[in-house]
Amino acid sequence: MTTMLRLVRGEIRKLTTTKLPWGFLAVLVVIAGLDAAVVAFATDMDGSKAFVATAADQQSLMAFAFNAMIGTSLFGAIAVAREYGHRTVVPMFLTSPNRVKAALAQLIAVLIGGAVLAFIGQALVVTGIALALPSTHHGFLVSAPDLARVFGATTFAGAIGAALGAGLGALIRNIGGAVTTAVLLLFVIPPLAAQLFSDAGSWIPTSLLAVISGVSPDVSVWAALLAAAAWAIVPAAAGLVAVHRRDVV
Amino acid sequence: MYTLKFQNVTKRYGKEVVVDDLTFTVQPGRVTGFLGPNGAGKSTAMKILLDLAKADHGRASIGGTRYREMHDPARTVGVVLEPNAFHPGRTGRNHLRVLADGAGIAPGRIAEMLEAVGLGHAADRHVGGYSLGMRQRLGLAAALLGDPPVLVLDEPGNGLDPQGIRWLRDLLRERSAAGGTVFVSSHLLAEVEHLADEIVVLSHGQLVTTGTLAALQQAGTSVRTEAPAALAQLLKVAGATVHTGTEGELVVRGIGIAEIGDRACAAGIALHELSPQAGSLEELFLGWTSSDSTLAVNTDMNVATEPERQAVPL
Repeated sequence: MTTMLRLVRGEIRKLTTTKLPWGFLAVLVVIAGLDAAVVAFATDMDGSKAFVATAADQQSLMAFAFNAMIGTSLFGAIAVAREYGHRTVVPMFLTSPNRVKAALAQLIAVLIGGAVLAFIGQALVVTGIALALPSTHHGFLVSAPDLARVFGATTFAGAIGAALGAGLGALIRNIGGAVTTAVLLLFVIPPLAAQLFSDAGSWIPTSLLAVISGVSPDVSVWAALLAAAAWAIVPAAAGLVAVHRRDVV
Repeated sequence: MYTLKFQNVTKRYGKEVVVDDLTFTVQPGRVTGFLGPNGAGKSTAMKILLDLAKADHGRASIGGTRYREMHDPARTVGVVLEPNAFHPGRTGRNHLRVLADGAGIAPGRIAEMLEAVGLGHAADRHVGGYSLGMRQRLGLAAALLGDPPVLVLDEPGNGLDPQGIRWLRDLLRERSAAGGTVFVSSHLLAEVEHLADEIVVLSHGQLVTTGTLAALQQAGTSVRTEAPAALAQLLKVAGATVHTGTEGELVVRGIGIAEIGDRACAAGIALHELSPQAGSLEELFLGWTSSDSTLAVNTDMNVATEPERQAVPL
């Protein structure tokens, strides 16, 4: 087994031997339950269930990508920043003194964790909606290719969200600070940017992930994929540089 | 055989010099105690050796290689550095599994090490519920996981019960006897006195003294005179460290026995006793690390006198 594979394996072991992923899974179950409740009990203004009447409506309701990105950014930020809080970075960098390699292995593990969590979250949401739809007299209308696209977009969003969070965790090294910055970066700054610069609205995560999920034609899918990835690559790269340059403890 | 070398290592945090031009060697086959008051720079020096912190100047190496350039560090160097470097929600066994996965160490070694440090019964409990001693044992298990020939241990005896201290002492002795390099910092001077073959003493980031413990303990001179104040003043000017002993005698370190006699004679001070004196490590340590004696030792004590292996107070 190569050094990198060994390190990634160790990092995945780290993630799976604490309650962190289970906590996020519990949140996903709650979100799926809320989605199912909305489908079962909510109505439009006219008292109808028009909001789930078409395949496009259902696909839009199921599209979980931006929520996944928010959630996994917090997951990534906590997973990496806690290493500094608990000082477990010390054994990490003693095992692999090549810090960039060790941090890259951690980033890959967190990215995989984020993608898996997002995929599971999407599956729970789809399942919840599918289970609730019979109570509305509307069938499950989303086609298999569209469903695959929703799953693909959410899994991608989970991965980049986790990478973004991991980068912030490595930069800020404090759970509270990293989580706050992730929320600011995804929730607060993009709407502000969109208000200040009209063209920016197409390039903020919500818009890009809507394009990737197939519920908005704002920009081309490839452009959306690249731009969304950039939202993660920039902080992740900054995190790697910080890890390389700064003292560990 | 791995020799640890610090060559002119300097580390600053802002304007504060934490480690100041540190040069010394830790030999294989010996247990070397690393001593100094709180804030002396011991932990920082160890972090620089292990590439967890970058030196502003100088170089620290293990067997001629920097830590960051080692191909298989977990099988070369075992480290206990941070007493609480564990996730409290992870079990002791899983902590070792993470390290074993990352280093490519066989999983069978985990149970072996947990038993060796006496944590077999608590291996599947969360580390958050461990006592300080149990955490220290887990840290030692992690350090020994790769069966490394070099051990770098920062305060490994903290929190250990007497049986644990005894076990640790035997382990370190065994390792050094087998040719291993053991570099251990401790505040437990009595323990170091039992354990160490050599010591390195830091104060305010600077090397105060290094050498064999036996040689350093013999490096003092007991002097009795009718004019202790005058003689003490005379010897201090010559660069010696002078303390009053338990029976009123002067204990002089830093200049040789012949020089003491010659200077007293030249000053017309009659001596009633002039004999070599062995000091306890605690007494020596307090002498070395008080501000005045550090200055005195640093300026004038460059010559070693012991034939076994040179004690080199700097």
